[in-house]
Amino acid sequence: MPPLPEPNAVFLNVPYDQEFRSLYIAYIVGLCQLGLEPHIAAEIPGGKRRLDRIFELIRSCRYSIHDLSRVEVSPVPLAAPRFNMPLELGMTITWEILNPGQHTWFVWESEPYRLHRSASDLNGTDANIHGGTAEGVLSELRNAFWRDGAPPVREMFHVYRYVESRVDSILTRNGTRNLFAQSVFKELCGVSSFISELHRRGRGN
Amino acid sequence: MAVSIPPDSQYDETVAMPKSVTITAPWPTYEEVAKSLGISKRRQKQIDAMAEEFLEQLRAKERAATSRAVEPEKRRKRASAA
Repeated sequence: MPPLPEPNAVFLNVPYDQEFRSLYIAYIVGLCQLGLEPHIAAEIPGGKRRLDRIFELIRSCRYSIHDLSRVEVSPVPLAAPRFNMPLELGMTITWEILNPGQHTWFVWESEPYRLHRSASDLNGTDANIHGGTAEGVLSELRNAFWRDGAPPVREMFHVYRYVESRVDSILTRNGTRNLFAQSVFKELCGVSSFISELHRRGRGN
Repeated sequence: MAVSIPPDSQYDETVAMPKSVTITAPWPTYEEVAKSLGISKRRQKQIDAMAEEFLEQLRAKERAATSRAVEPEKRRKRASAA
């Protein structure tokens, strides 16, 4: 019997590129605003094979979000489709089938119906459609994760805009230009979670 | 680019709804989050300052919105008194 997953932990399976920047921040801010703890592959210390580390992360999280909106051929030379996200989704589905009730996964897309074309084996799975916008991500997070005392989407968006405006100073403080660095990720989570808690206290929840 | 619905699709927009879950686990405290993220006390103070700054900005916006809403009412009362 595997150990129980962390009840608030969410594995975030998203692309790490600059074009995804605003959605990446929206996912982190939104999840923290809902009292959830996002986790990304970059957090896990090195040493082990990357795939093993990702699998450990999937096992330890109660939920996972797999954003397939950018599974496409990258524009750089030697372009190849980005298979990492579908691969990690496949690992997650297998884990969930073998351990029913221990994990819930979500597929997110920017366009309705595209999932049924790109991965027709997932027919019957309705993707959460964010429309490629930060507001769409926040709204869908609010729909997907129902929690008593959760803030309204408008409030979540205020926090998102604030955190987004502070990203440069967070990068500078952490001595990196890499938004997806572990230290930056942690600080984004920290700021979002703390604002969330102060807000909740203010609302008396 | 928008994708059209395949003609043989069984997908019905009127009934399709992405799944959702109800979370019953307790809300984590900030201390718990900071501990699980491994955020140091020093960094925690910097983060606290950012969060306080945000809330102060929000409160200032709310005060401004309230005063904008109250002003026309005051003007109307002054005008009717005159």
